Amino acid sequence: MTEKTDLLTMFKSVAENVDKKSFDDVTRESIITDLGIDSLSMMQIVGDMETELDLQIPDEDLVEIVTVGDLCSKLEHRIGA
Amino acid sequence: MKPTKNIALQEKLYRQYMEFFEKAERDRRWSVFDDIPWDDINPEASEELALCVETFAAVEMFLPDYVASGINVVRDWFGRAWFQANWGYEESKHSIALGEYLMRSGKRTKEQWFGLHHDLVQKSWQPLFDTPRRMTCYGMVQEMATFVIYCKHRELAKQQDDNCLRTIYDLIARDEIAHCRFYQDVVKMLLEEDREGTLADIAHVLANFQMPGVGLVPDYDSRILKMRDAGVDRDVFIRKVYLPVLKYLGISRREMLSAQRVAIEQRAAQSANPAAE
Repeated sequence: MTEKTDLLTMFKSVAENVDKKSFDDVTRESIITDLGIDSLSMMQIVGDMETELDLQIPDEDLVEIVTVGDLCSKLEHRIGA
Repeated sequence: MKPTKNIALQEKLYRQYMEFFEKAERDRRWSVFDDIPWDDINPEASEELALCVETFAAVEMFLPDYVASGINVVRDWFGRAWFQANWGYEESKHSIALGEYLMRSGKRTKEQWFGLHHDLVQKSWQPLFDTPRRMTCYGMVQEMATFVIYCKHRELAKQQDDNCLRTIYDLIARDEIAHCRFYQDVVKMLLEEDREGTLADIAHVLANFQMPGVGLVPDYDSRILKMRDAGVDRDVFIRKVYLPVLKYLGISRREMLSAQRVAIEQRAAQSANPAAE
């Protein structure tokens, strides 16, 4: 549970750093498109989180990410792998 | 960067263009008059399908601007400039095929078609980028996105039993991916010449990318909304454009991060203060 919360916190921090706006209200259920994050910012956020966690989500898995929770789950899966 | 003085790069560009041109001349050429099954138009095909054709045709109507502006940006690069001339010929064919479809299918009258042209040319397209390298990166991304869109619309035409339109989209999509490959191969060369600078330009183009019809075609946003199911949203852009382009160029997502960060920050700064640039 702590790990899940931490990844959500990390997402908010990284997204804020990339897009220079607050993502405080974001939950795991938030749909990334609804957050006004475009393709390039999305790839930057994913890349920055991967770098921070020292892991990489396979490209083919990226296309399945719709919500913030989907991204966190992909990262959790790699952490646990 | 002064490519005119870089003979080795000029030779590479020339060879690349000759390879592209040979394939185009030997294998890819098609004729509006001989290769499109005009008798296979489905007159019952939906108005929505026609609206999509009209939108593509409208974007193509800015061809004089694309050719004039585009070729002058790259005029110092021999192979690249000659490519631009050939590109203009192929795109003009796309425009004619789409326009003929609209008129021959009865979806638009001649008055509507030429009226649209008249309305459109009141505006002009301006290039989004002002260096040959950035324009090449833009061409690479734009042609890939366009290829994806035409492939999707080819399937829609097929679903509506319009073999004529399906064939038109098929031929256009084949041209678009050939254009994309040429741009990609040129960008590969530019990466060999100056990897850091080229990565920065790719990121800059991705950060500021927009399709050519934005702000020019009347009701563009509402047209795109109607075309959304067969368009390029964020996920499709990542899956079908961003990732394949990087893979072809041999660039990892991680390698793009530094350049992307700078480009996104510059875009935000520009957006906050548009008068600064």
